[in-house]
Formats: sequence, C-alpha cells, structure tokens
Amino acid sequence: MIQQIAFVIVALIAFGLAFFRVKDLLKLMKSHNGRYSFPTDIIPRLTRTLLDVFSQRAVLKKPIIGTIHATIFWGFIIISFGTLEQFLGTLVPGFNFGFLGNPIYLIFLFTHDLFTLLVLIAVGAAVFRRAFAAPKYLGRSSDANLILFFTGLLMVSIFLMHGFLILGTQFHYSHREALFASFEISKFLSNLDFSGSEFEALGISFKWVHMILVLGFAVYIPGSKHLHVLAAGPNTFLKPAKTEKPMTSIDFEDESVEQYGAGKITDLSWKDALDYYSCTECGRCQEVCPAWNSEKPLSPKKLIVALKENLYANKSVIFSGKTDEITHVVDEVNTEDVFWACTSCRACEVACPVFIQHTDKIYDVRRNLVMMEARFPLEVQTVFKNMETNGSPWAFSSDERINWADGIDIPLISSEPDPDYLFWIGCAGAFDDRNKKVVRSFAQILKKANVKFAVLGTEETCTGDAARRIGNEYLYQILAKTNVETLNRYAIKKIVTTCPHCFNTIKNEYPEFGGNYEVLHHTQLIGDLISTGKIKPRKTDFGGTVTYHDSCYLGRWNGIYDEPRNLLAAVSVGPVVEMEQNREKSMCCGAGGGRMWMEETLGSRININRTEQAKDTGASLVASACPFCITMVGDGIKAKDYSNSLVVKDIAELINDATN
Amino acid sequence: MANVSVFAEQRDGKLKSASTDIISWAKSNGHTVSAVVIGKGIKSLEGELKSCGADKIQFVDDSTLEVYTPQAYSEALISVVKNTNPDYLLAAHTPMGRDLVPYVAMEMESSSTSDCTSVEWNGDSLKCRRPVFSGKATAEVEFIGNDKPKFITIRANTVPAGGDRPGEGVTTDHSVDLSNVTQKALGMEKGSSARPDVTEAAIVISGGRSLKSAENFKILEKLADLLGAAVGASRAAVDAGFRPHRDQVGQTGKVVSPSLYIACGISGAIQHLAGMRTSKCIVAINTDPEAPIFQVADYGIVGDLFEVVPALTEEIKKIR
Repeated sequence: MIQQIAFVIVALIAFGLAFFRVKDLLKLMKSHNGRYSFPTDIIPRLTRTLLDVFSQRAVLKKPIIGTIHATIFWGFIIISFGTLEQFLGTLVPGFNFGFLGNPIYLIFLFTHDLFTLLVLIAVGAAVFRRAFAAPKYLGRSSDANLILFFTGLLMVSIFLMHGFLILGTQFHYSHREALFASFEISKFLSNLDFSGSEFEALGISFKWVHMILVLGFAVYIPGSKHLHVLAAGPNTFLKPAKTEKPMTSIDFEDESVEQYGAGKITDLSWKDALDYYSCTECGRCQEVCPAWNSEKPLSPKKLIVALKENLYANKSVIFSGKTDEITHVVDEVNTEDVFWACTSCRACEVACPVFIQHTDKIYDVRRNLVMMEARFPLEVQTVFKNMETNGSPWAFSSDERINWADGIDIPLISSEPDPDYLFWIGCAGAFDDRNKKVVRSFAQILKKANVKFAVLGTEETCTGDAARRIGNEYLYQILAKTNVETLNRYAIKKIVTTCPHCFNTIKNEYPEFGGNYEVLHHTQLIGDLISTGKIKPRKTDFGGTVTYHDSCYLGRWNGIYDEPRNLLAAVSVGPVVEMEQNREKSMCCGAGGGRMWMEETLGSRININRTEQAKDTGASLVASACPFCITMVGDGIKAKDYSNSLVVKDIAELINDATN
Repeated sequence: MANVSVFAEQRDGKLKSASTDIISWAKSNGHTVSAVVIGKGIKSLEGELKSCGADKIQFVDDSTLEVYTPQAYSEALISVVKNTNPDYLLAAHTPMGRDLVPYVAMEMESSSTSDCTSVEWNGDSLKCRRPVFSGKATAEVEFIGNDKPKFITIRANTVPAGGDRPGEGVTTDHSVDLSNVTQKALGMEKGSSARPDVTEAAIVISGGRSLKSAENFKILEKLADLLGAAVGASRAAVDAGFRPHRDQVGQTGKVVSPSLYIACGISGAIQHLAGMRTSKCIVAINTDPEAPIFQVADYGIVGDLFEVVPALTEEIKKIR
C-alpha cells in the first residue's frame, strides 16, 4: 500500500512537471505567427512517417552512429512496454503481461532483455564515440553526456532489478530462461550472502531506481536536445512532400499585413518552432555546409540552436503578451553575417535526419532585413537596381539580350509561334561571354537535332531567383508576373533552359503565379535527343579523366543527378570520376542564394575550395550544367593558376563539340 | 539676369573644381552669382571665389561645420538661402551635393532636379537634361511654377571649366544657430591614396590579376600620376590582395564611367564589364587576343602590359 501511494505521488509530480513544460513549449510554438499551410494528404503522410520513424532510415544514412541510434530507439520502444508493466505492477500488485499467453510473453521478455543488453552496448559505443572518436561536426555537449549516462544507468537498473528478482521470487523457470542476460547476471549475484526476501527487496529497490529514472527523463526531456523524442515524429510527418520545394510567397495585396519576413522569432511559423524543437544537435548539417566549411560564421546547427535560445530568452515577454518587447531574431549569435552567408545549397536540409528546413528560416529573416529594414550587403543594391531597371542582375540593357545569337540563325518566338520547346536563355547566357558559349552550343545541338524551338529574345527578363533568395520578394514577384504574362501570351507549353536557377524558378515557383509549363533542363532534353537517335555524339577524349560538379538547384532542389552523369559517360573516352562530395552531398560552388552577387569577405573562398576538390580527383575536365557553377569554378581555376591542367565546361559544349 | 547661388563645396579648405566651374559658367552667362561656402576656417577662399566669378560670397564659418553632416550643413544652407532669396541654387553632383541639395529642397518645399548632364540658359530660366533608366534615355527637365529657389545638382565636367570674368566678391558672414544639431561627425577616415577616387576620376587605369603582385601596380600608378588618373582593379586582383576593395571596379565594386578607361591585363569577365562598360573610351591591353575585354574596347593592344604600359608612360612623358 505504501508503494502504491508513493508511486502515485511520484508519478503525479513527474508527469505534472513534464506536462507543464510541454504545455509551455506548445504555447511558445503557438505564439509564432508566420504562415504555414498544413498538408492535406494525411493518410499517405502517416504511412510514410511510420515507415521513416520505425525504419530509422534517415539516421541510418550514417551507418555506424545510425545503427547505434536505431538500437537505442528500438530498445526504447520495447523497454517502454516493460516500464509500463512495472508501473501497472506497482499500482496493482502482482500484475504483469503474462496474461498474453506464453509464447507472446516469453518473446516479449526475451526481446526486452536482448534490447536492454544491446542498448547498453550501444550507449557504450556512443560514449566511446563522444570521448575518443568524436567527429568535428558533433561538438561537445554536456546535455548529451548526461543523457547517455542516465540511459546506461537505466539499463543497468533493469538488469539488477531482474537479476535480484530472479533470485528473490519464484519466477517461472521459462521466464528466467527468456530473460537470458538477466539470468546470467543473477547467477553472478547469487554469490552475495542475502536471503530470498532480501534479494526480492533489492530487486524492488532497483525497480524503483528504474522507475524514478524514467520519470526523471520525462521531466528532463522537454528542456533538452532530447526533446526530439517528442518533436521529431511530428516533424517527420510534416516534411516537404517532394524534393522540389518552392519558397512560400507573400501576398502583397493583403493590406492587413504590415510586416514582411521574420524580424522577431514569433514572425516565423509554428512549423519553424517544431523544427528547432526537433534538433538533436547531431551536426550532420554542419558537416556538409559550404559556409561553415569555408570558415563563415554560419553553421546550420548553431543557427537552429540559437533560434531556439532566442525563443526561450523571450519566453516571459511572449507569455505576458508584450510582443513589442520581443528581441530581434538577428542577435549576438545569429548575426547578420550568419544569414547572408547561406548559399541556399540545401545540403543541410538533405542531411538532416529529422527533416529540419533551415533555408525557410534564413529566407524569412532575409526578407525582413531587406524589405523592412534595408539591411543588406551594399553590393546587393546594384543587383536590385539592375533587376528593376534592366530586368537583369547585371547592368546590361534588355535590347542586348539576343546578342549571344550573333551569327547563328535563331528563331524568335514572333517568327516561330508554335515551337516544340521555348529555349529560355537566362541572364548569364544572354550577357556573360563565357556562358554565351554554352547557350550557343545548346542552340547548335537543337538545330542539329532538328528540334522546332524558339527564343523570347528581348522579351525575356530575369526570372527573379536571386532577388527572391536574397529577400526582395516584391521585386521577385514583379519579374515573375512579367515573365508569366509573356509566356502565357505566347501560349508556351514546354520550356528548356541551360540554367538550373531559371529551371527551378520557372518549374517550381511560377505555377503559383499562373505559369504552368513542362520545364526541362538541357541535360534532360539532350538525353532524350540521344536516346531517340536525333543526335549521335561520338566518344571524345577530353585529355584524361573527367569529373562532374553538381549544381545545387539541379541536384538537391530537383533531384537531377543521373542525367548529366549519363551524358558525360556517353561522350567521354576517359573515365568519369567522382569528387569526394558528390550527388546529394555535393558541395556548392558558392554562388547560390544570391551569393553570386555578393562579396565573399569572410573565411576562405568556397569556389576555390571546390576547385581544389575537382583538382584532387586528377581530372583534366570539370563538367558542369549551370552558368553560375561555370563562373565560380572558372574563377577558382584562374585564381589557382590551374588553367594549364584543368578546364570547366558545360555538358552542352562537350556534346555539341562531339556531334556532327 | 537671374540671381544664382552656387553651393561652393570645399573640403579641408580646398574648393571642388566642379563647384567653381559652375560659378564661372553662371557668371559668364551674365548672371549675378553668389557663392555659399560652409565649413570651418574658410575665409581664405575669398580670393579664389572672387576670381572665378563670385559677385557675393556667403560664409557660414562655424566649428560645428568642420566635417560634413547632413543636419548641420542643411541648417546652414537653408538659413543662407532664406536670407538671400536666390532664383536658383546650383551645386555639383558630388556625394555631398547629392545628399544635401534634395534634402534642403524638400525642407524648403521647393523643386529640384539632380545629376544633370546638360544645363542651358534660356534667358533667366534653365533647361536641364538628366539621364534616366541607367542612361538608356535622357529626360529634359524645365521648371514650371514660381518655386524659389529651384535646386539643381550638376554632374562634374558638364559645364565648361574655368572662366576669365572675376566677380565683385562682396563677402557676408552668416551666423547660424547650430545648437540644436544632434548629428556629430566623429572624424574623417581617408584613403591613403592621394590619387582621385575611381568613381570621380575622368581617367581610370585598372589592373587585373596578371599584374602578379601589389608591387607591380606601381607601373600603373606611374602612368596614372602622369595623367591625373585613378587606379582601379578587377575583383581577381582585389581578391589576390593586390589592391584594397575600395579600388575594385565591377558588379560588386564601384561602377565607373570615366572619359577614358585603360584596362591592363583584365580579361573582361562580366563581373568587371558590369562596372566599366559605359566608359566613354575603353583601351584594353591584354596578351590574349580572345579576351572578352576586346569586345567592348575602342582600342585594343594585344601585348604584355609589363612592356606596353611603361612604353606608353615614356611616350606621354615625351609629349608633355
């Protein structure tokens, strides 16, 4: 009876404390005002979430620590049933799950004991990793150490509980056999000079140790990084439905909106809050972040943790309703430089095992800095002004847009009103001498394959990608609406482009503005032209091995990894080798997210680091499929004086040179 | 005959030639010219202003005005303008002029136009032209209504330099109450170079990464000093640490449009072209005949800048 009363009191206190902590977290989450549209495809999402969570497949992308985590996770599920059994058994003396019948109960006891052992081993491995083999991206965390220590203690308490109870009570022999590990321990414990009732008392004591540790966990978790135990599941449920992820737009017609982007933490959405609750500080994002790896102040992990800290620091003003007193989301830790360092390469989001969407937050804060406070790198002013007056980030006049085609007969949409494909040139292809060669090459390929195509010529204008990602949504929408109007006026159905940034914007972000087209990247169309026999490029020697540099907006933002590689393999005599960071772990060239037009004054140069990685493969040619990547890697080659041994070319150039 | 006030911009007791040009031009067009000089310890400028054509000289000499701040200078200028009531207030379209003049015009609820590249007297009224849409079109501006004064800033080198008609040079000291000025300049930080800034110079000589070292920029500096030119650099040269970022010409640096731009060892990546392609005359020196810079150059020299530039410097020395 005393045990029962004691348990009820302890459990009520623990669950009560945990309840109030979680309630505060939910209240903080609800204080976020940013827009988030809840998904409607509930059933498929539920199925996928269960699969994601129970298979642990995201964590298992890193096999060693993934296995450690998965073991602890699966163990946590099974051992929870054991804990439930102890709780109920304490309330109702003599209760256990034995009523389930023998094979089931025996299997339960066996797996329970097995996982107690496995979790103990896994915890040991995790401690070893943190102590002796910690990867750089992990960082030190007393929170993690504490949790590992107590998890280990939990398992030890289970073994001691079972061990002593086996000695002290009349466990059915088959139960003893099922608790195979505990049984071995009990043999060892039997050397102690205690009576049966004393063994039983010890067993019950360790049951209490175990139960109190579990209840302690319940109280501790909401304030620690182990909050992911609660938040990661829902966050997995809400992960983006597809690889392609358009940015959220702002309704400028809505006059009730007085605030654009996120100035305060509560200007973000409740989903953003769920993101920082979910963060386990594992550091996988930081490991792949090009900004962090080039010594910039941005680490996606630190960004998310600091957002959470910012929220907690504002807790009392939020709860007292003094929203005016909420401090700025740009603070001493998350400085302006942090938000400007992002290349929007999305490596962090792809690496994150709990599906945190880092770029959403960066974009929202940039929007606030740009549209509400006019705080942005000086050189961006020129870009905005050029986009406004010239429809191009560079100060070239739109009547020069067709100059790239000098000397080739390129059909304008006015003379070819019903083309199979509209060839979208983009500003780089139109104005940059290096990239003019790329669009010329692709146009030649289209002509060789007798594709009926046309270009908009001077009617094309910048898609606005950079403006949007820098944070000038207003400017972006002007450009987007202009382009959609032009494209719809000509009733364009299919578009092909050599620029992944234009590709992503037109394909994924124009539908919201009424622009619905089938959009292809040139590497996709070239693949089709080869497979249908329209062009037959011959194998060509590019001076040795070749490597391919993934464009972020082709790869991580649109899942196009194979098409360019297949083309390269089809046309190169020399073998195609991969850089160490390739495909979804590929490193950005440094130009995305508007960084193309900003000075890189902090840390080392991303483009030079990437060029070095290409050089390290021993390849004599870096193939790319993006005008920005070509510019950045080209600059890297020049800066390192590799021009004699390394060249960067677009795949269109390679195919065109190899095609009669 | 109009009453024309000219904001005679000075820094460290030296008048900007862009301002004195406007004074002599207004004077030689037969108008009464009043020069407004704001600063500290500026009385010594009297002679120079008189000889370039100022009939009246309005001094506001105050220790608060030693370094430019928009607030103090605008209060001083507003006070003088209210006292003298001119028909026009003209100023050079310098960083100071473009900051100060529209602000004062707004405070006085009068009309203004800025960055004029052509100004023409039609009797007592002025007809101005100014570039719009990044220079793709020119707007013609005439003032209607009776606003007084009409505020205009004029781009450097727009009106003819110099003039031989001295003015009467009657000086007036204005004392302006600046006790309410809250903006305070803590000091001036100057670039180390005595050469003009790339955005202000009529001639710019720029070097690229192929200069190989900061030391080698001396070759360009010699030529620049001879021509009174500014020395610029490409992004690659700035990245390599050869020049400070303030000298960078290009998309992410300064956008320049001088009368003469000499690009030495610069291939002409779009990043650079975006900052200099509107220059009136472009000379390119590069070893690579395929370099895109030759596409925009009026004159191209295919050759090694380490030979071409010193030879050029020698030839110009001979002519001078």
